[in-house]
Amino acid sequence: MIDPAIYTLDLAKRYHGKTALAGLTMSVSRGEVFGFLGPNGAGKTTAVKLLLGLTHPSTGEGWVLGEPLGHRLTRRRLGYLPELFRYQSWLSAREVLALHCTLAGRHAAASKEQVASALLAVGLRDRADDRVGTFSKGMQQRLGLGVALLGEPDLVFLDEPTSALDPVGRHDVREIIRSLKRRGATVFLNSHLLTEVEHVCDRVAILDHGRVISIGGLAELIGQVSSVRLRLTGVNAPAEELLRRCGTVTFLEEGHSDASGHAERRQILSDASGHAERRQILSDASDHAEGWYMVQGIDPEHTPELVADLVEAGVRVYAVEPAHQTLEERFLALLGGSPWHS
Amino acid sequence: MTIAHLTFREAARRRLLLAVVVLAVLVVCLTGLGFSRLHTLRDSSDHALPPGQLRAIASVFVILIAYMFSLVLAVGAAFLAAPAIAADVESGLFLAILPRPIRRSDVVLGKWFGLAFLLVSFTGVAGVAELGLIHLITGYAPPHPALAVLHLAAQSMILLTFSLLGSTRLSPITCGICALVLFGIAWIAGIIGALGHTFHNVDLTHATTIIGLILPTDGFWRGAVYNLEPAVMSAMGSDWATGNPLAVNAPPPTAFYLWAGCWVVVLLFLAIRSFDRRDL
Repeated sequence: MIDPAIYTLDLAKRYHGKTALAGLTMSVSRGEVFGFLGPNGAGKTTAVKLLLGLTHPSTGEGWVLGEPLGHRLTRRRLGYLPELFRYQSWLSAREVLALHCTLAGRHAAASKEQVASALLAVGLRDRADDRVGTFSKGMQQRLGLGVALLGEPDLVFLDEPTSALDPVGRHDVREIIRSLKRRGATVFLNSHLLTEVEHVCDRVAILDHGRVISIGGLAELIGQVSSVRLRLTGVNAPAEELLRRCGTVTFLEEGHSDASGHAERRQILSDASGHAERRQILSDASDHAEGWYMVQGIDPEHTPELVADLVEAGVRVYAVEPAHQTLEERFLALLGGSPWHS
Repeated sequence: MTIAHLTFREAARRRLLLAVVVLAVLVVCLTGLGFSRLHTLRDSSDHALPPGQLRAIASVFVILIAYMFSLVLAVGAAFLAAPAIAADVESGLFLAILPRPIRRSDVVLGKWFGLAFLLVSFTGVAGVAELGLIHLITGYAPPHPALAVLHLAAQSMILLTFSLLGSTRLSPITCGICALVLFGIAWIAGIIGALGHTFHNVDLTHATTIIGLILPTDGFWRGAVYNLEPAVMSAMGSDWATGNPLAVNAPPPTAFYLWAGCWVVVLLFLAIRSFDRRDL
């Protein structure tokens, strides 16, 4: 059996009695792109520093590429882009990369090739001989990424790898992560950009107050429940029954109030982020004959049939939108943020 | 050696070497100019001073220059070593370096060797240039110039090692100031100790000896002075040298050199341990 790329058991770190990381137990398989998410101060960077041997654990233990944390020779096979990326401003980009090759104990001939390849990968070939001190923050982050990619490492830690990059740079980073995965390398990605994580990660752990509050595959974490939003008018009792048969029905937004003043009876709920939203479980069809409806738990295969049945029942269908829970929504829900909504 | 080379390269790229060389050349030229005017000195009868007296005056000036040089080296050692580790920790530079397969001891020793090479080279080159020029101009040469320069270099090594240890835990500014204050205390303790010795005050002598052992810089300063002063001065007896930081009548004992050697090794070991245990 192949050891996991990362395995930790009750790994904890306390600074002066304050817990930065509380009992992290997790496993990251080889070749996996693993997203590590959490709000500021959740303990993500502390965990990465522990895994790299930059910080010593207060309790617990861990293994990286089959060796205990901090094992010196294993570090030859690691790449790391720190969140706080800083390189010698008085060296050129090429010299910084060459220095890291030397520190990694690579032969001079191989180093030259690796440096050239890293410069190409991060788009710094034209600025290779300029001093790092003249680089913008984004270029320095690109250089950091180049340093992390040197020598085709088996495990790459990327701590907020796109924090200083423009949209093109972010796209490039996604491509680099995908190419690492194709090569069979493991990627440990710390990021606040949840859409980015959603695009590239196989599995995700969500950390809060130093504890993992959720871990699993993306589909597993987000949930397989699919939903559909429909904008309808003329919803009558048979149509309401058709909707109910497909799943839980929620009336999201009224089209207009009817003359009898039913709209006034609608409940107004406020979500955790403070946005008022009209929402009510469908209970009285006469209340909302017109507007947006959400059907949760519907089998996507049944959507065309539902639409056909609704039309047959005299309902006019203006829009049909499949809706999926995003990682951001799941993340906020886990952290007690805004409730699930499409 | 990669870190030592990097440290040296940083000094060169940041124009530290250039600044030091320019300043050293300037100081050597200015002092050379001063020594070239020594022969113009007259006694009270407006007669030129005899060569022997001129050489005696030159020897005192040499010690004064060495004193200034020793202060420059002390400040240089403290301000080079104080940020050597602390600044790289604060800036986050080590976050990129230390995940590489290197030991933290490699970093500490690399920094020490790189800075030691810088300081010793500067001491050697500037010392030889200064003493050589004085010899060329006045014909005066101290009895053991090489040993004197070596003692000055050793003094800067002590301060370098102490500052590097502080740099593993303290901020650069705090560490630099601590090193310089302790250097000043050790220097004063040397003078007070000489007074205590003359007046047979055992407590004072012991207290100052302990300070001199905690930071053994003053012993090397006294060793430098001993090797710079003409034999006639050191033979004048203890009274002449009492409380005079520019005069010494005996070299430091062998035990002092052994202690200083062990001191450097122990402090380097502590620096490695301290940095090894530090969370980044």
